[in-house]
Amino acid sequence: MQDIHDGVRVLQPESVSFSRSRGGVLEGVLHGKSYKELVVYRTFPFRYPSRYLSIRTPEGEELGIIDDIAELDGESRQELSLELEFRYFLPRVERVERVDFQSDLWIWELQTHLGPTRLVMRNLHEHLQYAGGNRIVLTDQSGKRCEIPDWRRLDAHSRRQLSELL
Amino acid sequence: MTMQEQLPERLRNQLLGRQLLFSYRTDLLADGRFGSQWIAVTDQDVFVWKEEGTPVYRLSVSELKDARAAGAVGGGMLIADTHAGPVVLVRYTAALTSVFNYMAKLIRALAKSEEPPAISERDCPRYCPDCGLPLPESTQVCQLCANNGKLAVRMLRYAKPYRLRMVIAAVLLILTTVLELIPPYLTKVMIDDVLQSEGRETLLLAVVAGLGATMLMMAIMQAVRGYIGAWVGSKLMGDIRRDIYNSLMKLSLAFFDRRQTSQFISRVNNDAESMRQFMTDGVIYVCGETLRIVAIFAILLSMDWQLALLALLPMPIMLVASMKIWPKIGRRLYQQWRSIFRLNTLVGDSLQGIRVIKAFGREGEETSRYGIANAEVIRNNVKTEGMWQFIFPAFGFIAGLSTLLIWYAGGAKVLGAELQLGTLIAMIAYLGMLFGPLQWFSQMISWAGNAMAAAHRVFEIMDTPPDVPDAAQPVSPGLIKGEVRFAGVTYGYEKHHPVLKNVDLHVKPGEMIGLVGHSGAGKSTFINLLCRFYDTDEGAIHIDGVSIRDIAQSELRSQIGVVLQETFLFDGSIADNIAYSKPDATPEEIMRAAKVANAHDFIVKMPDGYDTRVGERGHKLSGGEKQRVAIARAIIHDPRILILDEATASVDTETERQIQEAIARLIRGRTTFAIAHRLSTLRGADRLVVLDQGKIVEVGTHEELLEQKGGVYRKLVDAQKELSQIRGVES
Repeated sequence: MQDIHDGVRVLQPESVSFSRSRGGVLEGVLHGKSYKELVVYRTFPFRYPSRYLSIRTPEGEELGIIDDIAELDGESRQELSLELEFRYFLPRVERVERVDFQSDLWIWELQTHLGPTRLVMRNLHEHLQYAGGNRIVLTDQSGKRCEIPDWRRLDAHSRRQLSELL
Repeated sequence: MTMQEQLPERLRNQLLGRQLLFSYRTDLLADGRFGSQWIAVTDQDVFVWKEEGTPVYRLSVSELKDARAAGAVGGGMLIADTHAGPVVLVRYTAALTSVFNYMAKLIRALAKSEEPPAISERDCPRYCPDCGLPLPESTQVCQLCANNGKLAVRMLRYAKPYRLRMVIAAVLLILTTVLELIPPYLTKVMIDDVLQSEGRETLLLAVVAGLGATMLMMAIMQAVRGYIGAWVGSKLMGDIRRDIYNSLMKLSLAFFDRRQTSQFISRVNNDAESMRQFMTDGVIYVCGETLRIVAIFAILLSMDWQLALLALLPMPIMLVASMKIWPKIGRRLYQQWRSIFRLNTLVGDSLQGIRVIKAFGREGEETSRYGIANAEVIRNNVKTEGMWQFIFPAFGFIAGLSTLLIWYAGGAKVLGAELQLGTLIAMIAYLGMLFGPLQWFSQMISWAGNAMAAAHRVFEIMDTPPDVPDAAQPVSPGLIKGEVRFAGVTYGYEKHHPVLKNVDLHVKPGEMIGLVGHSGAGKSTFINLLCRFYDTDEGAIHIDGVSIRDIAQSELRSQIGVVLQETFLFDGSIADNIAYSKPDATPEEIMRAAKVANAHDFIVKMPDGYDTRVGERGHKLSGGEKQRVAIARAIIHDPRILILDEATASVDTETERQIQEAIARLIRGRTTFAIAHRLSTLRGADRLVVLDQGKIVEVGTHEELLEQKGGVYRKLVDAQKELSQIRGVES
């Protein structure tokens, strides 16, 4: 049985700090208590990607909620943002090179802000998620994901590739 | 070792002669960008290098406390816990999660000086060795690289039994193609030689008669060929379907565990259909049209080669256009299908949730949601339908252009008396016949592609070897007494994650064993191994002293009866369902079994009695009734070893009493293994076996176990008491 908390504990920005350990993991001090390893979860990954962040121990116990990453000090903000990028691996698509349909598979050649990649999908209706507005989340057969923040703002070539698919 | 990516030589040299246990290439860099690093685990160290060979980490096993794969969204990281704190070794995308889960276990085992876990096939993502694309979940063959030639040959092997008829159809096809070419030629003869001169009435009659005869012959041959085609097609499809189904039935349970079963329904039907389409319509159509095109070319060239070449000018345009357009059409159609699919999902959703919608008063919002999706469908419909309306006239126009060319150039020749009028008319007629098939040219390519993809999926099922093979020379134990012995049994659905660990148990003939434990403790796995749905990884199970691997599966299961948690009744009468394992059972036997199962009375009270149709589309039996039918089914099977997996469905007290009574009669004289969620069911058990995390932790009678304060069983009983669901254990 897990303990049931009465409420959500909101961490005060001034008594919270995050840094990166020598081993490359996120560590921090929360309300005077130091933690060798911390994990950060987005509670609203789509609507509020940099707000309402749940800070937890590696075992999954919630230590508290950061209301807004912008309220933290410089280093904490930077390390927490980096950790979010790591944990929510969602490369932003900058250009759609090609979308091929070969033998029942859709093959996407993409340029993302983290480098070029390729996604393979069996169909589109289960692997394209319209996350509101012009935002699209692409999920690969293997679970790899990429995001198009706003497909109307991509370059003309990419839009042409997409126009038949969306 | 074939599953690991080969560690490059330059890195192998840096291992200092250590024994390499496992190595892999990541798909992310330390800063989270796409790229690759290498990680290698030896018996003494863990190495991480950049792609070009610069060392990043080298950790000695003695520094390590533990290792874990911290999964995140869309990727993860491999963390080593050293004495100096956690270290992120590598990062990877979700595609490699299973590999690094395994690697974490391997490093942990080294750090704790345990036996390193075995790697199983499913730990490594499977890539096509040729093109590097990941292989889809349920298949071993890469769709892009498979050898289509071999496949086609294998597919055509299905046509072998019908080759005589196929040959007849082919001959008829050639004949009709040739015959089709005759009428334009006769037209030419008519215009040039008959109509333009006097006194040729007899010849006119002959030519018209010739035309009539050709038409009649063509009609007859088309009908016969069509009939043969339909006949062979149906037979072929029947054969393919039968083979797929047979293969499915032969496969082990593990095959189905890993896959969604619903996909097979479409495989059996759709894939057989696309293969048939290719073999009958496809092959015939392609051959026929190719033949026709070649023949028309030859005739046109022989009539007037200059005009012929002129007429063919627009042809490359059409070919290219058709190759370009078909893929687009395919995408448009898919787009349309997707919008309809969304609309249907929406309707399905809101109708299922209609109570919630009404309760919250959200009808208006649902209507507007539907409106948006509906508008989308309309938009796509207009686009797709509109496209068709453009394509055909466009093709017609291009084809018309070449007719225009011929009319102009040929007309000039006729005026200059270089060409006869009939020849010109005939050439124009042939041209019309030529452009028809060209429009569909690339459509044929996509048909063939679909058929190949279907053939892949079908042959893949047929080629999968069963995981649980029968012994080459099975031992027949005869009528077994029912002594069961588990000796050091270990099993995991994934090899490195055992669900049962080193289980030893000796059960005397006729004994009733109750299996108790939290969900996930390994109870169902225990039963699955006894039925030999899976083979043990380590250890063995003996029945009457014979290892169950040596007993033929059909014989083993004829002596094991199961009453499963999910009582599944097949479509058919109640009598059929009771007599499932013994189709020749007499009505008396069926009634006796039902009587013992406390089912006779409720069955007889139904208007259709034992002939009541149950199953998917039949009479709906209640949970308690279904269970009693299943018990009757087990009774008529008369197994020596009985397995009861009790339903969690709650039934009223009276029904439960009747079921308990039936079970009590059923287990008499049989070795019984019972899984019960309500511990009250296990009152009659001789011994209770308590499983916890795959191990046997307690064995004893209900009373003995209850006395162990702090024991697992005692805790379970207390928990159930609290939920006040424990009715009658104490009585």
